Amino acid sequence: MVITDADAAAVRNWLGQNRPNVRIVGSGRAIEIFKQTGLPKAVADQFRLGQAHGSHAIGHTRMATESAVTTAGSHPFATGLDVCLVHNGSLSNHNRLRRTLEREGIVFDTDNDTEVAAGFMTWKLQQGATLREALEDGLEELDGFYTFCVGTADGFAVVRDPIACKHAVMAETDDWVAMATEYRAIAHLPGADKSRIWEPEPAKVYTWGETRAHG
Amino acid sequence: MAELDVAEIGVRGVNSTLHNLPKGTNETDWIIHNPHGYHSIACGLDEHLNVTIKGHVGFYCGGMNQKANIAVEGHAGVGVAENMMSGSVLVSGNASESAGATAHGGLLVIRGDASSRCGISMKGVDIVVGGSVGHMSAFMAQSGHLVVCGDTGEALGDSIYEAILFVRGKVASLGADCIEKNMEPEHLATLAELLETAGIDADPTEFRRYGSARKLYNFDIDNIDAY
Repeated sequence: MVITDADAAAVRNWLGQNRPNVRIVGSGRAIEIFKQTGLPKAVADQFRLGQAHGSHAIGHTRMATESAVTTAGSHPFATGLDVCLVHNGSLSNHNRLRRTLEREGIVFDTDNDTEVAAGFMTWKLQQGATLREALEDGLEELDGFYTFCVGTADGFAVVRDPIACKHAVMAETDDWVAMATEYRAIAHLPGADKSRIWEPEPAKVYTWGETRAHG
Repeated sequence: MAELDVAEIGVRGVNSTLHNLPKGTNETDWIIHNPHGYHSIACGLDEHLNVTIKGHVGFYCGGMNQKANIAVEGHAGVGVAENMMSGSVLVSGNASESAGATAHGGLLVIRGDASSRCGISMKGVDIVVGGSVGHMSAFMAQSGHLVVCGDTGEALGDSIYEAILFVRGKVASLGADCIEKNMEPEHLATLAELLETAGIDADPTEFRRYGSARKLYNFDIDNIDAY
């Protein structure tokens, strides 16, 4: 981890020129991204997630379909300062969209489909879109099936493709809100059995916290 | 009344206890505690048992059920009562996708909302939903009844065969070959009986009936060029 007051793009450029073997998984003031291959418990232990503090967290384990099982292909993918994306599903137009985004100056590190969705969000946010707008535009441009969860500095967003192929469930109490692929992942939270539980609707963007995220 | 605790003996412990009961057992009433969203709770039962599950269940609860009456006091995950043959499954809360998928018989009651693909490829089950259902419900539904007291999502009854659909609220759109049909006295009687059996207080005359136009699943010589 590098802590600096310098501009993120400048640091990225410097590292690219001077430390080409260093891969940057994310940057910002609030969000930390940890990635690794292996059993979730081992990864959590390695990064001491049990001692982590914060207001919100996103966890993701990947069953790879579109690219290799590597740390680089793991989620989340950063989409700018303090914005990251996890994805359940697979995108069918990611190669074409990757070429389009590369022409717009978005840089990709992998051939992973989710990184293209993240790159699309990055591009939209750089153009001044709100997170909600970026996700709504994604419904038009991203072909395939997906449930996305986007983490921001002070909140998160959820959207499912219009067919809602991939499962998702939401739960909310006065104290917390949670989204997961299935209730099993939420069941251990305090008061989960009394929480309001529902299924996010297809092609509807749900956001919590500040919705304007900066690229 | 016997009690089982998923937290203590796990799903396999619970299910094997219920599966291993001797035929015609007098121990018919069971309570299952701490389901905590685990999958496949009370699957494959084939005796006249009354099983009450205290809390939210995961995927496929009550799947393949025969004869047993299963009550979920909470919400249900994907595929509740999938491939049920007989008996009943009652969900007091909401159900996730594909509720009652491919079920051949029995009664599935969801007091809250069901999600997309409710009753997909149903083959004889009766499903009564107190709330609304999501898109693609009753997709390729072959027989049985789907009663929706609320609204439906898009493409209701797409590619439907001979299942009968009753909806009280708004239908977002009908799927291919699904049309509205007249409510005849026999349909009102069937619907009234289903609502009463499900314990849902609703006026049958407020519902509309939908079913197959029978243009898609019958061979039509005019379509020969399409093959």
